[in-house]
Amino acid sequence: MSNILIILLGTSILYIFAASRIESYVKTLAFQGLALFFLVIFDLKEINWLNIAFLAIETLLVKAIIIPLFLLRVIRKNEIGREVEPYISQFYSMLIASGIFILGFVAAFWSAKVGAGVKPLYFGVSIVLIIASLFLIVNRKRIITHILCYMILENGIFLLSLSVANEMPMLVNLGVLLDLFVGIYLFVIFFNKIQEMFDGNHIDILTELKD
Amino acid sequence: MIFILLFLPVLLGAIVLLSKSRIITRTSLILLPMVYIAVTISAWSGLNWIILPGWLNIFFKFDPIGILFLAVMSVVFLASSIYSIFYFDEHNCSVQQEAVYTATMFLFVAAMTGVLLSTHLALMWVFVEATTLTSALLIYFEKKKSSLEAAWKYIYICSIGITLAFVGIIILSIGSRSFNSLFFSDLYSHSSEINPFWLQISFAFILVGFGTKVGVAPIHAWLPDAHSEAPSPVSAMLSGTLLNTAFLGLIRVQEIMIDAHREEFSNFLLLVTGFLSLLISAVFMLQIKNYKRMLAYSSIENMGILFIGIALGKPGIFAAMILLAAHSFSKTSLFLTSGNILHHFKTKKIESVHSLLKRDSITGWIWIISLLSISGIPPFPAFIAKFLIAKAFFAAGLGWLSIPFFILLAVIIYGMGNAVFKMSFGENKSEIIESKRLNFSAYTGQVLMLLLLIAIGTNIPETVLNLLKNAASFLN
Repeated sequence: MSNILIILLGTSILYIFAASRIESYVKTLAFQGLALFFLVIFDLKEINWLNIAFLAIETLLVKAIIIPLFLLRVIRKNEIGREVEPYISQFYSMLIASGIFILGFVAAFWSAKVGAGVKPLYFGVSIVLIIASLFLIVNRKRIITHILCYMILENGIFLLSLSVANEMPMLVNLGVLLDLFVGIYLFVIFFNKIQEMFDGNHIDILTELKD
Repeated sequence: MIFILLFLPVLLGAIVLLSKSRIITRTSLILLPMVYIAVTISAWSGLNWIILPGWLNIFFKFDPIGILFLAVMSVVFLASSIYSIFYFDEHNCSVQQEAVYTATMFLFVAAMTGVLLSTHLALMWVFVEATTLTSALLIYFEKKKSSLEAAWKYIYICSIGITLAFVGIIILSIGSRSFNSLFFSDLYSHSSEINPFWLQISFAFILVGFGTKVGVAPIHAWLPDAHSEAPSPVSAMLSGTLLNTAFLGLIRVQEIMIDAHREEFSNFLLLVTGFLSLLISAVFMLQIKNYKRMLAYSSIENMGILFIGIALGKPGIFAAMILLAAHSFSKTSLFLTSGNILHHFKTKKIESVHSLLKRDSITGWIWIISLLSISGIPPFPAFIAKFLIAKAFFAAGLGWLSIPFFILLAVIIYGMGNAVFKMSFGENKSEIIESKRLNFSAYTGQVLMLLLLIAIGTNIPETVLNLLKNAASFLN
């Protein structure tokens, strides 16, 4: 079961590479949150129940419902339909995505072979998520897409931390969640301000400050 | 006592926001740094007059290096707070704006305190990210187009950077499975059990992550923008305290590398980033047009020197500790003074500022003396620090590196000196200049900083020297 979920998580990033409607990014984000929720429920047996409960609530409530809904509202309010033409064309991005997947598989095989003490599939896919989201951030121009890709990056890191299954103290989990929450909130505030002041939402308009 | 440092700012911030009274806002803005200084001094002298609740005791602790950073932060915070009052008057801020500024500043300081005192690597990460979030609001305080751009770049670049640091932390926890703990004390005592492969990868990630916050090249893109667009007292806090805070994070991780005998790897990376920062700031310093950006590039330079310092082993680390204090105090003075210049000339362009000494002689002289201090002219402590670093180069068998080091420093000092002297002495005959004095709160902070610098540079008190030595012995 958990293997299917992980594969779905990996496929979702391919879908984002192919998609150009911003709303479908948000839906993918919500889907990833849901997949992470089921992973936490099915797979984490060894750590204490309080931590599992916390992680389950975090993934289901925050990652799958609250943040996607919040971002969806922002997108609809600002009437953002599609991503503008990226720096690297769709075709070459897909090629690069395949390259990132190969890298992820290599990492998974390698970690299984040397017995690195991580769950190989989790490890490989989390690396795919992290590198792919960084690539998307560099390649896409809309500020809202940057915020969405930041969330994908966070999902990748969450998956990476699941692959280790070492327990973080509750205080740390709480702090990370709070930072994420406030971070997204501030991102959106600044996004709205940029939309207002600069009359647009591409990063290309942010060129006033330079040497 | 740590309890006070962490919760008093939050409490005072809430009071300030709710009360909406100018007197309460300004009083607490001065009161809190005083409390910080008092608590730091008592922690320094070993007093512990309030027992913590148990769970806090595990996660926060005073140690010599933390106390040094806390002391520097408290003093800079005081100077910046005094100047903030001048800033409020000058900008005719409403009571609401003053309250928001003060409360955000308090949260920012509380977050930095959390970084300095936490004993758990991941908890420290949480606080580093919190400093980004709170200070982004301060950078955007003037609500201009340019400050919005700076704030966006700052919050986004730093969040991504810090996220990579978290990847590093997770990787470290893969490597330290045998004892399964991220408390610094455990990481140090079990350092030989950490898998060296994972340790090195994790150090590289954490270097990129915290390095983004420290603002070293090549991940410094946010720094000149944020420092030049923030209100002057905020720029002083960013440069004088925030960069140090992230630097402490790196020092604590470097200690793991040293304990695990992997310092060759980390020293190499630190040296490369350090020299790259010097190079970048030298290149930009020669064609600089904006004096606040000039100060920002000087911060990049000094952070680069700090990196070089901790890469050079024991003598270098001691020098880095001196330079850290010297840089924070001088840069605070410079940034606060840049606020005065902005007030007089209404522009950040170097070419539009002239005859500063005639316009306002106190501002002019503080500007020049602070430049001397940051460039490391005796009797200022930056001189001792740079001298010791040159010595450390030879002690580490890397004597030839001192040549590019001093050439780059000379270029940077030339660039900065050129701009500062043009602004202070250069004259524009067509204009008649009226001299004008500002309110005394526009000078107090800077004078305090310069007096401290001269005191440290000429006749360093035994206790301060011990503090520096203890802090430096953290990395051994």
